[in-house]
Amino acid sequence: MKKVMLLTIFAALMMISSAAVAQTATGTLTVTATVNGSIQLVFNSDAAGVALSSGAGTNTATLAFGNVSAFGAISAGIVRSTTASNFTVSSAVDVQVAKTNSASANYTLKAQLGAADAVNTWTVGGVAVTNAAQSTLTATGAYAANSNFPVAITVPFTTASGTLISNTINYTATAN
Amino acid sequence: MLKNYISIMRGAGLAALMLYGASLVAQTTATGVINGSLVNKNGISIQFDTDPAGVTLGAAGTNAATANFGAVSAFGPLSGGVTRPSVTAANFTVRTIFDVQVIQGGLTSTTYTLTANLAAAAPTGMNYKVDAVTLTTAAQTIQVNGAYSTAIPHNLDLVVSTAAPGAGGPAVGTPITTTINFTATAN
Repeated sequence: MKKVMLLTIFAALMMISSAAVAQTATGTLTVTATVNGSIQLVFNSDAAGVALSSGAGTNTATLAFGNVSAFGAISAGIVRSTTASNFTVSSAVDVQVAKTNSASANYTLKAQLGAADAVNTWTVGGVAVTNAAQSTLTATGAYAANSNFPVAITVPFTTASGTLISNTINYTATAN
Repeated sequence: MLKNYISIMRGAGLAALMLYGASLVAQTTATGVINGSLVNKNGISIQFDTDPAGVTLGAAGTNAATANFGAVSAFGPLSGGVTRPSVTAANFTVRTIFDVQVIQGGLTSTTYTLTANLAAAAPTGMNYKVDAVTLTTAAQTIQVNGAYSTAIPHNLDLVVSTAAPGAGGPAVGTPITTTINFTATAN
């Protein structure tokens, strides 16, 4: 009888001991990544200019001047100047370049027309731009700040009324 | 004397015949008994599996896998299976998904608790999250009711400071490796 009791107690202790030990499994996941520096360019509407009709805050925006003329009414945000043979309409456009994981102090901004325009003259930030080559707008652009680079188009008086003028300006920011 | 000799010879002959017979029998019949026994031990195991939406794990299906995000940046292209849920001025997050599968045998447990910790302090400018839980070198609970024998997806986030190297940001252009320890405990 004593033996049976002892055996029972032993078995109970064994069960308690077994239950008390939590069953665990372990594993390791080794994670690797290579961080690279990067920069980003976005267009923003400038308070003084024509609001971007689409793509504000992105790198693909649209600036629509609407109807323009040498002497008629002009939309808000457009600055106009007129000479004896042509007129120029201009709108402020902000360019903002952000950098990450880079010690670069500033950036160089260049622009180029997407297609040739033999009739009109285009400038960005006061610098003539064509489709022949990139034009440097600035060599010391400040990061993380809206920088106004006005887009201007000079239209000859010989242009027929109702003519649609459209082109693409490609911008490239390069970390210095 | 002769009688004794003949008797001895007969006995020897009989013994020889019996031995021969015995050897013949041994060549055609053999029997044996093995007494086998085993002790059924309970236990659980953990393994990492590649998730269809994540990067392909190295050594998938084992408990010592690798996950390579490849090149990551705030604005540049990312490898397949890597997404970029957020970019702020201070940091950007890149994410992949991996699966954890825990199997148990011999237990009455129906679920498990999953914890994780960094094997060493996170590299400068880097933070690691699993399912939004920021990892440290101390164990953090990731899941308390994991189902057994099911590949359960988990988000693995790398939160990368946008600061430049030497200014609080991570080293650039070189692989940064960190080991995450996972422990599954039967509930």
